[in-house]
Amino acid sequence: MHELAIASSILDAVRTESARYAGARVHKVGVRIGEYSGVASESLRFCFDALVKDSGLEPLALDIELCRAGDGVRGDELDLSYLEIEEPETA
Amino acid sequence: MNRIPLERKVLSENDRIAGDLRRAYQANGILCLNFISSPGSGKTSLLERTLEALPAETRVALLTGDIQTDNDARRLARFGFPVRQVTTAGACHLDARMVEQHLQEWDLAKLDLLLVENVGNLVCPTSYDLGEAGKIVVLSVTEGEDKPLKYPGIFRKSELMILNKTDLLPYVPFDMAAARDNARSIHPGIEILELSCQTGAGLEAWMRWLRARRNATRSLGRSPTEPGAG
Repeated sequence: MHELAIASSILDAVRTESARYAGARVHKVGVRIGEYSGVASESLRFCFDALVKDSGLEPLALDIELCRAGDGVRGDELDLSYLEIEEPETA
Repeated sequence: MNRIPLERKVLSENDRIAGDLRRAYQANGILCLNFISSPGSGKTSLLERTLEALPAETRVALLTGDIQTDNDARRLARFGFPVRQVTTAGACHLDARMVEQHLQEWDLAKLDLLLVENVGNLVCPTSYDLGEAGKIVVLSVTEGEDKPLKYPGIFRKSELMILNKTDLLPYVPFDMAAARDNARSIHPGIEILELSCQTGAGLEAWMRWLRARRNATRSLGRSPTEPGAG
């Protein structure tokens, strides 16, 4: 259930971050999810796909990287890892 | 196509508000604890017994979260301490903004202790920092001793596990030692208390834990000149 709120937070963050690149189109957002984050990746993807429609950001792909705890990884990560953008061609 | 690395929390806005709350609690010497459990494991009963045991002059306030109804707030208000219900209208967890909004009518300088009862759910509340000093997970013996293994996130993040409803142990197949072992396999440092809100067994130990935790907060914050050390 809270995946809907998290998907909404991802879209808010995409809007905030992409505002730094005027005119750029965001194609993909990367999200890192730890095994103890309490987030179900398939539910998150379902909610993300539902919210991205009519958001003004469509088409926007979600790339989920699942990480296991250990070797410096806490396992409770819920991070944005990257944006893939296409910047407008300049004359 | 250009890939721009980001190192940002998905819930950074929640975390920003939680950070503001945490600083406000610290500035006012408030101990804030976030109680998380499945529905029906006894969070409200534990808080009722806690309020019953606290001296009347204790500067405590409570926020209690539920998807619908103010039943819990009405139960907790009977003890005369300030209580506010947070009705989430569908959300399965409290977030920092909800807490911030519901604290606005209270003067934090007049509080020492803030107890937050989250929405009954072992998963979703785990993701949301409320600015609390610590999370407490309540597990009742009717739920099964493998819950720490099934829902590791909350057991990793909690400093204390309260095993509740021990009065029912003769009637349910709950392995107390296995529950402890499972919790410690997920979080070796987790503290564990056993109690029964029905019989009162174990409540003294819980109140001692709470007093010690509160005194530790006070020694870090402002001078403990107020009454109601509990």
